[in-house]
Amino acid sequence: MRFSLRLGSLVLSAVAFLGLQTSQAIAQGLATGEYKIGFITENTGPIAQAGQSFWAGAQLAAEEVKSTKYLGGSSILLEPKEAGSDAARSIQAMSQFIADRSIIATTCCILSPVAGALKPAVLSAKIPLVIYGATAAGLPELPWVYSVTILPGPKDTAAALKVSDALKPKSVVYILAADNDAFKGRMAATQKAMEAKGIATAGVVSVLTKDTDFTAAATQAMGLKPDMILVYTTQQAAAGSISALRDRGFTKTIVGNDVLSPDSIFKKMGPTVVGVPFPVSFSDTISDSPEAKAFVAAYQAKVHAAPDIYSAQGYQMVWLIAQGLKSITGTPTRETLGAALEKIEKFDHQVYGGEFMKEGQAQTTGTIVVNWTAEGKLVPWTPPK
Amino acid sequence: MVALISPAPKKTMQRLFDFWSAYQSTVAFAIVNSFLALSTYAVLSAGILSFATVTYAALGGFLGARLVLASGLDSLLALPIAALAGAGLSYLVALVFLRLQSHWMALASLSLILITRVIVINTPWVTGGVVGMSVPMPLSLSFLSLLLALAAFVFWRLSVSWYGIAAQSVREDPAVASSLGISARDIQTIAFVISGAVGGLGGILLAGLLQFISPDTYFVNIAFTMIAGVVLGGSYHWSGAIVGAAVFTALPVVAQAAFPEYQDVANGVVLLAIMIFLPRGLIDPRAIRLRRASR
Amino acid sequence: MELFIEQLINGVALGSLYALFGLGFGIVFSTLGILNAAQGTYASWGAIVALNAADQWKLPFAASLLTGVVAAGLIALIVDQVAFQPLRKRGTSMLGALITSIACWIILDSLAGTATGHNSLSFPRGTYPSTMFHLGTIPLPAMQLITIAALLVVTLGLQLLTRHSRLGSAMRAVGWDQTAASIGGVNPRYVVVITAFLAGATSGFAGVLGGITTQNVSFMLGEGLMLKGFAAVVVGGYDDVRGTALAGVALGVLEVLTSQYLSSGLRDGITYSLLLIFLLVRPRGLFGSLNFSRA
Repeated sequence: MRFSLRLGSLVLSAVAFLGLQTSQAIAQGLATGEYKIGFITENTGPIAQAGQSFWAGAQLAAEEVKSTKYLGGSSILLEPKEAGSDAARSIQAMSQFIADRSIIATTCCILSPVAGALKPAVLSAKIPLVIYGATAAGLPELPWVYSVTILPGPKDTAAALKVSDALKPKSVVYILAADNDAFKGRMAATQKAMEAKGIATAGVVSVLTKDTDFTAAATQAMGLKPDMILVYTTQQAAAGSISALRDRGFTKTIVGNDVLSPDSIFKKMGPTVVGVPFPVSFSDTISDSPEAKAFVAAYQAKVHAAPDIYSAQGYQMVWLIAQGLKSITGTPTRETLGAALEKIEKFDHQVYGGEFMKEGQAQTTGTIVVNWTAEGKLVPWTPPK
Repeated sequence: MVALISPAPKKTMQRLFDFWSAYQSTVAFAIVNSFLALSTYAVLSAGILSFATVTYAALGGFLGARLVLASGLDSLLALPIAALAGAGLSYLVALVFLRLQSHWMALASLSLILITRVIVINTPWVTGGVVGMSVPMPLSLSFLSLLLALAAFVFWRLSVSWYGIAAQSVREDPAVASSLGISARDIQTIAFVISGAVGGLGGILLAGLLQFISPDTYFVNIAFTMIAGVVLGGSYHWSGAIVGAAVFTALPVVAQAAFPEYQDVANGVVLLAIMIFLPRGLIDPRAIRLRRASR
Repeated sequence: MELFIEQLINGVALGSLYALFGLGFGIVFSTLGILNAAQGTYASWGAIVALNAADQWKLPFAASLLTGVVAAGLIALIVDQVAFQPLRKRGTSMLGALITSIACWIILDSLAGTATGHNSLSFPRGTYPSTMFHLGTIPLPAMQLITIAALLVVTLGLQLLTRHSRLGSAMRAVGWDQTAASIGGVNPRYVVVITAFLAGATSGFAGVLGGITTQNVSFMLGEGLMLKGFAAVVVGGYDDVRGTALAGVALGVLEVLTSQYLSSGLRDGITYSLLLIFLLVRPRGLFGSLNFSRA
């Protein structure tokens, strides 16, 4: 009786102990390790500024994943290869990543054509690719290709309509980067919506993304005598066009786009960009969720500069992959990671106030229209009195 | 059975295999760049500096890619079409440009590249316009190597043929050549046609390798890269073009590994050093001959 | 009508930049016989140094302008002595010099990228005159007037130098034949040094003014000017100062008026087609001299 009680309690405790171990093992899931993401950086080349933001945001996220023990004892290691926004170098970098077995996911691209060029290689090699910056719609392809870029197109139209509702222009001029398909599409969508509301198009002034002198374009646009000018060009062209317009004495409203959001643009353009409304999905001064504030503070401490939309996208890219990794049991492979990413709908950790994944494409709800103030802060736009 | 093979050599094989696949694309690019360099060499060997290879490559690349996309043509057939198109264009270019003196020829060919880009941007139905186009034409490394071996064979035979010797004399001294009954104009026209064919072929191979071409693909950058490759490798022998292209393709990759911050500067410095210390390039038949003679 | 005049003035100002840059490029080409691919970098660097002078050292406008111009001249001088002089001693051809200039272009361009943090920087307002004059209702920014004035002054100065001074004759003699010139009592080394400095300074001047007016100080500044300046030299006459100036201005006007009244897509096409036509029909340009005896 006594013997069987002792034996029984021994057996019971052994079973309990074993049970505990097993359940701990089940709860642990992901095998501990350092998981590498192949990162095609664009820290040099024509859009290096944006590229550097993406890279800094991603690095911050990787550090946070480790320090918050989000993946338990595991961490994410970013392995960079510079491509300078060049398609050929990007392809070569991708080939090297694919061949490196320790790399379980890749990330790339600000330029949509480059992302398009990398897709076939990624699809045939069956390795997950998360696009951090390319703005073309329709790039994702489950289960391998994802995009955390917050597509700017719909935001443009929403912003243009909001500003028009307040100011009621009769005719507008669009300044368009004729050699950029993405902007052509964005402008066309906005133009359609504006014309549906009865706002006439006085004309479309074409510039090229590589242009440096915008005096002629500004003169042309002003010559059409519009009530409002909307700018659909890449960053340098937007800065140049808007400065040229203001320098030549155009005082009416100019509507910009998301390329005007980084701090460096305010430093560059100064008073000419003050008051120009544009839509933004993330802003270090306006996005006010607790995660956003924490992100801004951490980024500021690490990089000594304020984060912009690009930093946020780079940051979210790493968190997306981390979230995928977390749901995997055992050692992750490229296949299991792809399957895990496919299942993600809501973000565990995001800084936009509301971000979700739909068919591999990240999206946010709502559009904020902001403008720069003379002191260099972004504030919500209000119509001038 | 597997257990009998000890893990160590298997792991080395695995590492070698990984290394190979990682740098496979670099080797492939080196081969394609060799074609462009050979095309430049073809006219250089007859005494003409011309950047028009880029235009032939653009024609071959866009035309070939569009044919494959639009008509489902087998990529194998697209290659000779690209080469023929290049040869045709180069013949026209020769007709118009050959009356220019050397400096003007170089400038005219440079302007040709600029105009080509404008044409490419403004003909979207062929070239996809500003955005560019995808090229679904997978090329295996062995296929590329075979083509290169073929091209090398052709150039070798040409260099020892009547044409090769005539070209050399035209390059060294056109006046003497004509006094020997060699028509410089005819030889140079042949050189142009060869250049066009090889250039067009190189263009479509580049398109297949990049899997995506745009107006910036065939522009000033590759013009300068291929001419630097030819001179680096040695502009006095056809093998110099291949060696130079290989070195110039591998250089950025090595530089990226060694000096990630200053890789471009490193490229330029190496090029500068070679130009100053080895002006006739890495493969210099005269130096080889002199060395052999002194033994 | 008013719009036309406004755009005409814009065109003249833009063209003045092209012309100014082209003058520097033309000096190197006609006197030193080098197709200098690195010329654009002198402009970029002139702008970068001037920006630093204005922004960091808080120099007034004229002083920062001068600093930028002198810096560009010095860089050109260094490039000439380090890269081209060894080739000159060996009697290397135009091809060798071209490749060397490409190497320098790569080095200087990427250093410029590093210097600007790969950003496009602007001159802060207040470091340059920003008064707006008015011709009736047409706005005339001060910088446009300064650019046009700069072109007139430099053209006049260079014209006097090359055609009416001993140094100018020496430059032309060295451009024709260095050995013959030295027999005639000219110190070619001294002339080459001055020529290199002048060429760099002129292009640097264009760079600083361009950097201010286009608010784009980066390595891309030089590249943009390069192509247009090259066109100005070819169309105007590679060794004629007035021709280059005129051609540059005409190109600027053509560009702006094409954008306004035709389409901006055709803009570059027209410029480059004009370039090619001139090269084919009248390679010496509008006012260039007939012979170009460099081997």
